[in-house]
Amino acid sequence: MRAASITFISLALTSAVVGNAFYHKKQFYPSVVYITKSNPSMAVIYIQALVVVVLMGKLMQKVFFGQLRAAEFEHLADRSWYAVTETCLAFTLFRDDFAPRFVAQFILLLFLKAFHWLAEDRVDFMERSPIISWIFHLRVISLMFVLSILDLYFVNHAYESTVSGGASAQIVFGFEYMILLMIVVNIGIKYVLHTIDLNSENPWDNKAVFLLYTEVVMGLFKVVLYFTFLIIMVRIFTLPLFLFRPMYYTLRSFRKAINDVILSRRAIRNMNTLYPDATPEELSAADNVCIICREEMLTASKKLPCNHIFHTSCLRSWFQRQQTCPTCRLNILRIPGERNTAANPAAGAEAQAPHAPDVPPVPHPGLQNPFVNGVFPGMFPFWQQQFNLQPPNPLPNQPHHPPGHPPQQEPSTSSGSASGPQPGLNAMPPPFPPMPPGFGLPFFYPPFPPTPMPPPFGIPPPMPPPGLAHLNDEELQRMECAAREGIAARLQCLQNIQQLLDAAVLLMQQYSNAAATAATNLVHVPLVPQMPTASAAPTAATPTSSTSSSSSNASATIPSSQPSSSTNRNTPANVKTHSSEVPSSSRSEELKASTDVKISPRSEGTPDSTATSSSPSVATGLSREQDEIRRRRLQKFSGNPEPLD
Amino acid sequence: MAGSALRRLMAEYKQLTLNPPEGIIAGPINEENFFEWEALITGPEGTCFEGGVFPAKLVFPSDYPLSPPKMQFTCEMFHPNIYADGRVCISILHAPGDDPMGYESSAERWSPVQSVEKILLSVVSMLAEPNDESGANVDAAKMWREDRNEFNRIAEKIVRKTLGLS
Repeated sequence: MRAASITFISLALTSAVVGNAFYHKKQFYPSVVYITKSNPSMAVIYIQALVVVVLMGKLMQKVFFGQLRAAEFEHLADRSWYAVTETCLAFTLFRDDFAPRFVAQFILLLFLKAFHWLAEDRVDFMERSPIISWIFHLRVISLMFVLSILDLYFVNHAYESTVSGGASAQIVFGFEYMILLMIVVNIGIKYVLHTIDLNSENPWDNKAVFLLYTEVVMGLFKVVLYFTFLIIMVRIFTLPLFLFRPMYYTLRSFRKAINDVILSRRAIRNMNTLYPDATPEELSAADNVCIICREEMLTASKKLPCNHIFHTSCLRSWFQRQQTCPTCRLNILRIPGERNTAANPAAGAEAQAPHAPDVPPVPHPGLQNPFVNGVFPGMFPFWQQQFNLQPPNPLPNQPHHPPGHPPQQEPSTSSGSASGPQPGLNAMPPPFPPMPPGFGLPFFYPPFPPTPMPPPFGIPPPMPPPGLAHLNDEELQRMECAAREGIAARLQCLQNIQQLLDAAVLLMQQYSNAAATAATNLVHVPLVPQMPTASAAPTAATPTSSTSSSSSNASATIPSSQPSSSTNRNTPANVKTHSSEVPSSSRSEELKASTDVKISPRSEGTPDSTATSSSPSVATGLSREQDEIRRRRLQKFSGNPEPLD
Repeated sequence: MAGSALRRLMAEYKQLTLNPPEGIIAGPINEENFFEWEALITGPEGTCFEGGVFPAKLVFPSDYPLSPPKMQFTCEMFHPNIYADGRVCISILHAPGDDPMGYESSAERWSPVQSVEKILLSVVSMLAEPNDESGANVDAAKMWREDRNEFNRIAEKIVRKTLGLS
């Protein structure tokens, strides 16, 4: 009503002014001059122009939007108020070229801005209404088209006038229209996304992600534009005060967009790594309505540690805000950490589980076994056991090894080889982590028939950890996924073996050298007589069933390690110090094993001997009688020095 | 397919229409916009608000149910947990991040498990048992504590007003 009366009054005033001018001047041109010369008349004309613009705006609004919703109107009123204040601030900056034309341009800009805001609201409204008619689409598309054409035109106009006429207020307009163009593009992308979503049969889960990235990219463009503009304005004119509020808001929303993207990525990562997919059984067992969207869960659902199940996409959007279970508010970020620390023994076993079965890399343990047991006892606990269990074990002094213990020998082995001046051996990898106690126990092999090795790697099949019952689904799955780690571990293990072989060969050479050249130095060392022939001889006559098929592979593996071992010679003194550090019995066993290593490729005819003679060398934490047996055996060996001398 | 927020609101509307909880009516003001609802709450029996029918407006965010809706009574209210302009201050309407009163544990905050029905039921119980520690309306909280008779008198006046009796 008020608007109508204002329109009417302004129309009446205008006709009065124009009529008055014509009445006085009688002709067109003089009356125009008369009106433009008279300030009151011009004021009336300006008011009339404003009214016309408002009417035009109303018409456009009717065409493109129909009835405005209350929220849209509120939004519009708020933003217009800010825009008007900023425009007034901008006027102060350009007070020198303050002209009607300039004011008209600003008002036009304001109007176009208002339409951009409304278009934005409208496109957002698409998500809120179940009824989107074809006329809605028609309106939005045509509006976006018109707005983008206008923006482009004004940008172009501003550019050309700046290029031809130098820097002026046109820079401001050009920049403002650029921003508006960005907004149109943003609205367009959103509109396309919403339309695709509306027309698809199934819920489009990734729409939120697309919207997020659109937000970031457009935010980045806007921020860059604002900063460029700020710099240009500061260089040419002065500090543009009117710019700060929109710039601040743009920066803030850009920051929020980036933050959202980060949170979203983290949520997705957590979802993919930490939580298992709900199985169909779980889905059918429980009441399968996702509590977030209240729809049935048929596919793509995740189970949280607290056993609550949700749609993957619903959970992802929620985790973007909060890292708790929607139902029970369990803090899901803290849980994985807690589980890792609390369940460390279990986790350790889990970590070992993929390794342990994969560790033995070669199919013929008959030959490899000695190296393994002697040089690197911790490596192949299963083999050890396997050989201990062999029924036809002929050696009377065969100690029985508790499988979990061999790692105790590792330090001496590695330090012995690493502290020597052998550059190649310094790079020796750290010994394998010791098996958790009790871990080796559950795997034992049935008494060995002639062809005991399971194909294809001759390794024990992945043994069940001590009781699968306490592992949850996730852990089991992780174990299943360990194939790749297993291969990596095998490779690593092969490398370790090669290095160990090198070390063993070196040690052997040192001993033989020392024995040959400086027999006097070695007299007081109990290890002296352990020459290849000495150790091999007593055992050569005791073939075992398991080693019959072993020689070919061993000869393939071992010679490769020999060339590298030829150069370094450790001094006998070095050897002595090491041997004095450890109990002489175990040390000597170990060294004897290395002599076996040396022998095996050479004495092709008796590979079996190495296999059997090595088994005693693994023993460490043993009962006294076993120690006793070993000591006796040592004495026997050391009392047999004839071949040396 | 419509957005997930819209689908959930439609599901809740259907649920509320099929199984309306006692004393509560709620639904979109206009079925073209499911994000603005109107609710009518009857005052719980045996309290000073008994017999009243209180209209309220619920405005849902576009990311509902990840964020809570806002609820505002559109009639005059005098209650410790309702601001003078009608906005309702209960913990389940607050997102876990913000804590306007600084006392709510996050366990009682908004989560997607909540629904319109639960909100309205909480509001009914809030009408029955005001929490005078959170002073959305300090005058009302003070009066509730110190001068219950006067509080009841004002409440009764409001009830009569909502029924168009005074």
